[in-house]
Amino acid sequence: MTAISSRQLAALRLLRRRLIQAVPLLLGVVVINFVLIHLAPGSFLELMTAENQVSDPATVALLRKTYGMDDPLWLQLGKYVWALLHFDFGFSYRQNMPVLQAITIHLPATLLLMVSSITLAFAVGVAAGVVASMKVRTAWDTLVSVAAMFFFAAPSFWLGIMMIVLFAVKLGWMPVGGMITIGGGGGILDILHHLVLPTLALGLFYAAIYARVMRSSMLEVSQLDFVRTARAKGLSRRQVTIGHVLRNALLPVVTILGVQMGTVLAGSVVIESVFSWPGVGSLLFDSVSSRNYPVVLGILVLGSLVVIAANIAVDLVYMWLDPRIEIR
Amino acid sequence: MKLDFLGRFSRNRGALAGAVVILGVALLAILAPLVYPTDPLRIVAQPELWPGEEPAYPLGTDSLGRDILAMIVHGARATLLIGLFASAVATVIGVGVGATAGYFGGWIDEIAMRAAELFQTIPNLIFVLTIVVILGSTLQNIVIAIGIVSWTPIARMTRAEFLALRDREFVQACRAMGMGNGRIILGEILPNALPPVIVLSSLVVAGAILFESAVSFLGLGDPNVASWGRLVGDGRQLIRSSWYICAIPGVAIMITVLCLNLIGDGLNDALNPKLRDR
Repeated sequence: MTAISSRQLAALRLLRRRLIQAVPLLLGVVVINFVLIHLAPGSFLELMTAENQVSDPATVALLRKTYGMDDPLWLQLGKYVWALLHFDFGFSYRQNMPVLQAITIHLPATLLLMVSSITLAFAVGVAAGVVASMKVRTAWDTLVSVAAMFFFAAPSFWLGIMMIVLFAVKLGWMPVGGMITIGGGGGILDILHHLVLPTLALGLFYAAIYARVMRSSMLEVSQLDFVRTARAKGLSRRQVTIGHVLRNALLPVVTILGVQMGTVLAGSVVIESVFSWPGVGSLLFDSVSSRNYPVVLGILVLGSLVVIAANIAVDLVYMWLDPRIEIR
Repeated sequence: MKLDFLGRFSRNRGALAGAVVILGVALLAILAPLVYPTDPLRIVAQPELWPGEEPAYPLGTDSLGRDILAMIVHGARATLLIGLFASAVATVIGVGVGATAGYFGGWIDEIAMRAAELFQTIPNLIFVLTIVVILGSTLQNIVIAIGIVSWTPIARMTRAEFLALRDREFVQACRAMGMGNGRIILGEILPNALPPVIVLSSLVVAGAILFESAVSFLGLGDPNVASWGRLVGDGRQLIRSSWYICAIPGVAIMITVLCLNLIGDGLNDALNPKLRDR
């Protein structure tokens, strides 16, 4: 009983520590991106007034005042941070709704793609790495290395297009794009069907990394003393591999998983464009080309928030896998 | 020592093959204006000729009737140059930050590492796209943007090397002689810290090529440069009739990145012989 609660206590301590550390990190993200966005020549106001054919100087001046554009940069930044604290990311004139709402409409699709890709990458990568390490220097090992090399080098968007050509256009097994079948679709099975190719296109790159790391990590751990002890106790090779080596060998994979969270989120932007997936990527694209900067800034800030949250989750998993480690 | 290194590198067949291919691609890139002296974006034949259909255009033509082989050869130039320069930018930032952090330690180290964490948190490609859109889609800005999101692993590696080296006897001897910090960092520690950093830089080249291809594929690349990523993006509309237009430049990207990775692995093995059997 006491053992359990002390571990839970440690997990809570870790959580609190990470949350406190996240505050300056997030503030840094906001400042960097805010300043970057304000380096832009011409404001979104010019585009907005042009689109709506507003040319009356008095109206423009009023708009500038409403958006606080005549304030010095530090004051605008301060106001933005203050608004963020109240979950106010600004207003998107294009969607005619608050930025936060515009993003959260698109967020679930992106999160779904992210989670399914990471799950696929983790499962395939770990399995392939384990197989390669158990059959080291055999045809299996070579097969895994060659496949890993291939998927590590192939641009994800290109892999996606090639899979569309093969599985959707030629064979007709998969939809070409989108998230649901237009007219009549929308069930869970329908969404999963649409999810297969984007998940493969995004996930296989990471599966390749995890397979390589897992293989070398398995080989390293299997040479440690405690593994020999377990074998000497009379456990079978399979029991030792699954029960002792695997768990310890997972640690480096979990570490890079955490580091790459932002990369996966960013990668989904490209994949969404290939598969017309209705996620944050499509919103980002629209906002970037229309210079709708409040939305771009909001996506960068929220995206970083997702990354920070995912990293905290990874830290907790790490601690669960290796109780010896008290993470700083 | 040098011969030993070359011997170890060339015993790694994959790395050797990678180096040969990359040399070939580099040669192609350098000689592009001689092989195809005319503008590769010029219309030369009827559109959508399949590879092999017309011997004069071995890789076929695209939707406008432009020679795909000519575009690939010229694209090699843009792609390799962007990869190299972006990696150089990342290496300069990474080594600068990492060396300062590792050598001085204390609060400087703390700030540098928090900054690295910050840049790892912001989703990298989204950041690149934003920078490129705001500063303008020029080659120079794309190179800088990719460098800005790629320096953190190099900084961490350099820092670790500096931490390990800064209190060694030869450094203490330099300090005792009254050598300044700048000279110790650049002249004494850096040369010893460089080998693993070089390995990482070669891998960053591969990563930068992938970044650039994604930016160009999305249509945000430099409009005056036909890099391989842009060729994939241009061919996207025609995947039903002429998927080869997309496939060919993608294969070029993949082979180049694959070979750069092989070279990186080979350098790693040759520079850290202890890890060879992993």
